[in-house]
Amino acid sequence: MGRPSNADPSPKDVPRERCVTGIEGLDHILGGGIPKGNMVLLAGPVGTGKTTLSLEFLVHGAERGESSLFLSVTEASNKLIENLSSFDFFRKDLIKSNKLVFVDLPIMYERLGLDHEELTVEDIELLTRSVLDLVESVGADRVVLDSLTSLGYRIRRDERIRDFMLTLGQGLSRLGTTTLLVSEVAPMEGRYSSHGVEEAVVDGIILLGNASRQGDILRVLQVVKMRGTAHSRSQYVMELTPLGLLMAPHLKGNRAQGG
Amino acid sequence: MESRVEIGERIRKLPAAAAAAVRLNPREYADDYFAVLNATLKESSADEGAHTIYVSVTNPAALVWSIAQALDVPPERLSFVDAISHTMMNFRDPLPNAVYIESPRMLETIMLRVEYLLRLHKATRTTLVVDSVNSLAIHNPKELLNEFFHILVNNLKSRQVLTLLLIVSEDPTSDLDQMLGLIVDETVDVVRAHG
Repeated sequence: MGRPSNADPSPKDVPRERCVTGIEGLDHILGGGIPKGNMVLLAGPVGTGKTTLSLEFLVHGAERGESSLFLSVTEASNKLIENLSSFDFFRKDLIKSNKLVFVDLPIMYERLGLDHEELTVEDIELLTRSVLDLVESVGADRVVLDSLTSLGYRIRRDERIRDFMLTLGQGLSRLGTTTLLVSEVAPMEGRYSSHGVEEAVVDGIILLGNASRQGDILRVLQVVKMRGTAHSRSQYVMELTPLGLLMAPHLKGNRAQGG
Repeated sequence: MESRVEIGERIRKLPAAAAAAVRLNPREYADDYFAVLNATLKESSADEGAHTIYVSVTNPAALVWSIAQALDVPPERLSFVDAISHTMMNFRDPLPNAVYIESPRMLETIMLRVEYLLRLHKATRTTLVVDSVNSLAIHNPKELLNEFFHILVNNLKSRQVLTLLLIVSEDPTSDLDQMLGLIVDETVDVVRAHG
């Protein structure tokens, strides 16, 4: 993709500082990275690489000296760290130096006394404040919430999800934090979250999925929306390798392929 | 008329960022194939810092590797992207210097595994061998294959990688030959060795 040239007929971007993801293909698609302070929905069905992409985003940030925070709702941090160890790009010293911080949200619920099965408006306000306080105390430049869907199971109502995201987004943007919100969605057209309100609030949507070619399944990535930058809207095939996530154009062959 | 020795010489003289079709004679396939393997595997892996990535679609990596061993190719200078063993249900003992793909229809995965091996080895001089264009054409529609080679070759050129696309053909006007004609810089013609 790269930066648009002077001859580019698309509307001119106001240059914004970038949060370089360190994932070469993704930075290329985004013309240099995610605009700093953006809150981005990383949506896709199970097994499409959402958590791995998020972790790589944080590790590369930590390597660049940016504080990176992973808020885990479902999976225990120690298990995530164990999985990370199989990747060559991961360095344990990033955790020791507190550049890469993992927090289990269920522990936070417990400490805050959030024991209602469905969080009340007050519970949500308390949780939002606590998350923002944590982000500020860590000095996080990058945050991942994995997953918004799991958190949504406890917030439940659409309007509360929307309010939670608006407040969180405003707070994180004020702190200059670039955020990935992981959203688990069933493969379907035109919807990127379980409640359907999340995509309207976020600054960007990165969609992961599976594409079938004559019965063979390829992992694909597409940037559907990203405020503050021109970006490719093409679909890319991605591969999770020990060196990190790699991407290649999704071949169309003039739509000659089946499936 | 070119001898097989001269063919090896021609391959060796190709510039780093070139892409060439290496055309083998179907009637003399076994002899031509060995001559080409000798030239590509042995010679391109002879120097310190050189590395060959061999995309095997016709024969399993294990078979090509056994030939490479007979040619004394150092294992650290040769790696494989094997896109056929799974499909042939012939996947027993994986080679340590090979990555395996489930199907030769996953062309993007071939590109990505090549990219992975390029980054892994960081060689000063890399040669990519695709064996073969015909085998990929069995599993993929022509339009898709055309797009695949176009992207692969241009990407590798920009990385100073020498790309050799093996094709078995004695008819330069065939569809596959014509497709390659638009992609490669030159054709190293083994067919002509037999007059």
